[in-house]
Amino acid sequence: MNSQIFHPFVLPFVLGMAFVLTYCLVGLIRVILQLPKDDRKQFLRSLVTPKTAWANIRDLFGDCLFHVKIWKRNPLLGYMHSAIAFGWFMIIVIGHIMLFTLKPLEGVEVEGFARTFTNFYYPIFFKYFAEETPVFAFLMDFFLLMIISGILIAVVKKIHSKIVGVKRVTKFGFADNMIRFALWTIFPFRLIAEKTNIMAFWWLYSIDLLIFMFMLPFTRYMHIPTEALFILMRHAGLNAREPRKGYALAQLYSCPSCGLCIDACPMSVNDKMSGNTSAYFMKKLRNKDSDEAKRIAETCLMCGKCVMVCPVSIESCDIKFSQRAAVPYEIHSDHSYLDVISTEAQRSGEISSKDKVLYFAGCMTQLTPKIMRAMKQIMETAGEEYEFLDKDGGICCGRPMLLSGKTAEAQAMIAKNTELIKKSGAKKLVLSCPICYKVFKEEYHLEGIEIQHHTQYINELIKNGKLKVNKTDVNYVYHDPCELGRAFGVYDEPREVIENVGNLLKAKSEKELSICCGGSLGSFNLTQKERDEITSNSVADLMFNNPDEIVTACPLCLKTFARKSPVPVKDIAELFVVHQA
Amino acid sequence: MKENILIIGGGAAGMEAATQLQKMGLTPIIVEKSEHLGGHIAQWDRLFPAFHPAKDVVDQMLNQVKDVKTYLNTEVTDIQRNSDGFKAILSNNETIDAKAVILATGFDIFKAERKQEYGYGIYNNVMTSVELENFFRTGNDARINNPKKIGFVHCVGARDVKVCNTYCSKVCCTTALKQACEIKEVFPDAEVYTFYMDLRMFGPGYEDLYLKTQKDFDVKCVRGRVCEVSEDMDGKLVIKAEDTLFGKPLKMTLDVLVLMCSMEKNKSIDVIQQKLGVANNSDGFMQNKDMYLGMNGTAQDGVFVAGACTAPKSLPDTIGEARSVATQVFNYINSK
Ligand SMILES: Cc1cc2nc3c(=O)[nH]c(=O)nc-3n(C[C@H](O)[C@H](O)[C@H](O)COP(=O)(O)OP(=O)(O)OC[C@H]3O[C@@H](n4cnc5c(N)ncnc54)[C@H](O)[C@@H]3O)c2cc1C
Ligand code: SF4
Ligand code: SF4
Ligand code: SF4
Ligand code: SF4
Repeated sequence: MNSQIFHPFVLPFVLGMAFVLTYCLVGLIRVILQLPKDDRKQFLRSLVTPKTAWANIRDLFGDCLFHVKIWKRNPLLGYMHSAIAFGWFMIIVIGHIMLFTLKPLEGVEVEGFARTFTNFYYPIFFKYFAEETPVFAFLMDFFLLMIISGILIAVVKKIHSKIVGVKRVTKFGFADNMIRFALWTIFPFRLIAEKTNIMAFWWLYSIDLLIFMFMLPFTRYMHIPTEALFILMRHAGLNAREPRKGYALAQLYSCPSCGLCIDACPMSVNDKMSGNTSAYFMKKLRNKDSDEAKRIAETCLMCGKCVMVCPVSIESCDIKFSQRAAVPYEIHSDHSYLDVISTEAQRSGEISSKDKVLYFAGCMTQLTPKIMRAMKQIMETAGEEYEFLDKDGGICCGRPMLLSGKTAEAQAMIAKNTELIKKSGAKKLVLSCPICYKVFKEEYHLEGIEIQHHTQYINELIKNGKLKVNKTDVNYVYHDPCELGRAFGVYDEPREVIENVGNLLKAKSEKELSICCGGSLGSFNLTQKERDEITSNSVADLMFNNPDEIVTACPLCLKTFARKSPVPVKDIAELFVVHQA
Repeated sequence: MKENILIIGGGAAGMEAATQLQKMGLTPIIVEKSEHLGGHIAQWDRLFPAFHPAKDVVDQMLNQVKDVKTYLNTEVTDIQRNSDGFKAILSNNETIDAKAVILATGFDIFKAERKQEYGYGIYNNVMTSVELENFFRTGNDARINNPKKIGFVHCVGARDVKVCNTYCSKVCCTTALKQACEIKEVFPDAEVYTFYMDLRMFGPGYEDLYLKTQKDFDVKCVRGRVCEVSEDMDGKLVIKAEDTLFGKPLKMTLDVLVLMCSMEKNKSIDVIQQKLGVANNSDGFMQNKDMYLGMNGTAQDGVFVAGACTAPKSLPDTIGEARSVATQVFNYINSK
């Protein structure tokens, strides 16, 4: 302990701290001002709503300090993050608590502003200025060692990432590497300074802090302060509207480029394509590399897996949509035909009964007539009264236009389809394409009409005895279509159907972690060759337990897999045709 | 000079190569997987562009190879290179020592089920060009029951990234027009349509065939791809296509739809091909040494290729290659 209240080595720290606080405050105000007016109101209101406020507190601790989500994925990686974050947090908190336990230094009276000023750096350089009480001293050392243990893991991870279960890591530039080096050395310097009291190390410690805080806003470490804001905004239920503004901006800076989404992404089948993953998208957009951001937004398959695995819950697909919507793609569409479209029953003037099932095949099922035929057979065998909404060419569900950010065009189709559906008088709408299902579920207002995917519909018919099937010992594996699984959590119904007719084997990656078939319409510019590579990888994953056949529930998956699969690929509806009792 | 030359595949290419090699004093040995020689042309009725009976050609060729040692219903199960050349083990457990190997395993027909939107195997009245050829040969096909309206779809399984085949299959345009004329000969009152992307009438007399198709047989050639096929209540086929010359979508009801299936590499030879170290080109066919002077050679010394195993080819092309491969092998043996 040294009997002084000030030493010039605290200045670098004070400078850094002042800088970073000002920067964050200005940033915070800017982001909030960028929010559209309604969003801003919604955000501010959420802060005082008990339910969201509680969720805020829970996640601020759970995510920012304890990194619960990373623990779940890989305990060692989880420990690394929480050791550094929580340990650092604790030594700051304990430092501040100790301020109150301090006896004033003998003969030195510090009052008013000076007192406040000393309080600012005291907790950071405690051992230099004051004597610690033994309990606190122990705690401080404990947490300091905890941080250092976390850093040790980080160093090892940098050298050999497989230890923490990560295959591909984000590639960083100079600034990111430099600040990381600063972060790694801060705490060892502090430890040495505290134990030896050598001046040079107090200086090094303080300068390291300056470097860290000064570089923070310009590197991925900006995620530390931003994530807190992002959590609040997410709980307020906001949506990314513009790619680099408001809520999206908060997300951009909350992404630490951890790279977890790189391994998860179906595009990571080779190094070149792994550059299209969300980690890089966020980075490019953050660095205002708008050409690259636009390119990646157009390349992504929009399968949603990166969102599913992201430990920060970054809604990267939404940001990509907002990026697409910001580009005025030249699409000249002529929707004048909409007026003349009607269904067969409407043309023949049949008045429809109320219990009728309306089946919409959609453009992709039209190209896979086996599914349509199987659906017809299913509805007939089950004795259902049914009608085809698009027997001889209906209207698109609207998804392609939505995907390219053309909302008005999509709405024209949605309106006409809604009219046709309502006029039909049906109580149930069945879709055999998950993409249609998503659009009908999310974009249509069909009150009073139950919307079912055919996996759910068939399962229901089997359960209530309307369809009878034989169980055989064919080994099936089921592929979860992205838009059905990750988007709506429909995992069980298709599996139940399959278990009724054969054995269900597991794929290597299933359910939430299922790998997109590679055929997704979400991507505008993946080449056929690149898609083929994704498909082969996805097929290999499904073939893990050597099934006799692959079953899926999406006409596009079906077509895509059929190109590359060594075994037959079937739609779930076709199983009925084979196994009808 | 009696040197064994192993020829795998006894189609047009294999037979013609054997004929020539024998005349050069070498000893060709044909190993043919199926129960007869002749390969695909033995399945055809008449050949374009002259409507010449395929059987004539096959019979002539059979006559030429009657003294050639031939194994039918036999495949090569293993092959190794040794200091003398090659040692091959056959599925009947015999061994053959040969100085050189000619791969003449030809092609396979694209499986039309893979293009599900055309409804083959789903709708009764969708058939393939091979099945139609069979009808002309035998006069039997339940699906062809005095049809009034018939359509031909070109490029099925060819020039289509969606089925992983980007190449042109070369002979299906001409075959389609040939078959369109033949259908009109049998059913003069039928309306016949062909749906093409562009007509590739590449050989002598082929363009004349095109004019004849239109002038003498009133076949309607529509430029545009068929996108969807469905069935109506009476089991008739409803097709949707685009007429790109008029820039209009069109819908049509047909009695029969014929799919002009492409040629694909015959994969039954893959294992042996790998053992010999012969790669495939980007279209999936066998990779020859180069496309010009080395068309009959491969990257491997003593291994030669001929016929449709390297790319889709017409019969005259195949015969030409078979004759040239014989010369190449002859020179190769003499240089040893
Ligand atoms: C529908 C259709 C119509 C056609 N009509 C005409 C026409 O009118 N005029 C024209 O000029 N051309 C026509 N052609 C093209 C013609 O058929 C080919 O040029 C010719 O068949 C090529 O002969 P090939 O010997 O190279 O191959 P193939 O005819 O395929 O013969 C290959 C032989 O190798 C055998 N084989 C394969 N694998 C193995 C193995 N692993 N081991 C042992 N043996 C094996 C096969 O059984 C077969 O006998 C047509 C093609 C098609 C698809
Ligand atoms: S988007 Fe999520 S998973 Fe991907 S790098 Fe950023 S934080 Fe990590
Ligand atoms: S949405 Fe799918 S394809 Fe796109 S970046 Fe995320 S994981 Fe990759
Ligand atoms: S086609 Fe199937 S697997 Fe591929 S993106 Fe769509 S839903 Fe996902
Ligand atoms: S020859 Fe004609 S039908 Fe055959 S693939 Fe080429 S263009 Fe298509």
